[in-house]
Amino acid sequence: MTKRSPTSLLTTGPAAAALMAVGLGLLTLGLSQVLSEASVSFKSMMQALGNLWIPGAADIGPYSGKETVALLTWLLSWAVLHVILKKREVNLVIAATATFILIGLATTMLWPPMTELLVHH
Amino acid sequence: MADPTPSEPAPASVLWAVIGTLGVIGLAIVLLTAPGEALLGPGQHAIRGALHGTAAGLFMVTSTIGLFQAYRLFTKTTWNMAELQVGSLINAAIALLTILSGNWIYIPYRAAAGPRSYFLQQAPDVHKVFFEFKEFAALFTFPLAVVVAYLLIRYGDEMYRRRALSTIVAVLLVLAFFYFVIAFGLGAAVTKLKSV
Repeated sequence: MTKRSPTSLLTTGPAAAALMAVGLGLLTLGLSQVLSEASVSFKSMMQALGNLWIPGAADIGPYSGKETVALLTWLLSWAVLHVILKKREVNLVIAATATFILIGLATTMLWPPMTELLVHH
Repeated sequence: MADPTPSEPAPASVLWAVIGTLGVIGLAIVLLTAPGEALLGPGQHAIRGALHGTAAGLFMVTSTIGLFQAYRLFTKTTWNMAELQVGSLINAAIALLTILSGNWIYIPYRAAAGPRSYFLQQAPDVHKVFFEFKEFAALFTFPLAVVVAYLLIRYGDEMYRRRALSTIVAVLLVLAFFYFVIAFGLGAAVTKLKSV
């Protein structure tokens, strides 16, 4: 990772930050689902979190809290990564590969038979 | 010498005015006379269903356009950056509308006598596997669509000079379409089995 782009092009740091934040947000969604299925208290926490701000959250259950933690992780990690990387030149192939792996892990965790398998192991 | 071509007022604005007026009159007649409620259906939550269905239908259009744009970005076929940027913003906005309306219709789905209870009694896997996966797959579409819009707007015409970036945006558009199709297909199948 170098500090400046070798050309007059914009630095790639902000692109890497935006990409990786999506991966982190979706991974959080997957983790929140697995943890909700594994722990009653975590599921209650998700419900309470959703109740804080989503209209009708009580009627859509802990799904509201899972949406909330994914959204918060996505946006906060984007802001933090953006500040850290905004002036840097980052290898976008590596950043995108990491992002796609995180999205793949999230998808795997959210496929219900896999969720069940993870919860019971 | 006189100009051989007679000068005429530009007809385009007149034609648009006529078409617009006829359109407004036609729409007014339809709105005043059509039994619109018959299309919504008898259900208590028909408006929610219609809104979510309409949003998802629009998202099908915009995400399919996104798929075509992905092909053009990937192959570096000539593209119009302004068109890509506006399209990606619309795609992200409709993704959000689809998710919000999905949350709204999820309430009657989970209600005591709603489809969830029905499936858990009659065919538990429909809810436990297909619906649960559908509700999460739908959430993937919004951040994917937002990051596409962000990258297209921030980097603009630099996409021409950054092969990796244009390819990444193309892959993100394909992923957004993929997760949308999962959510749309499973949602349609579940609705066909038991609607709210």
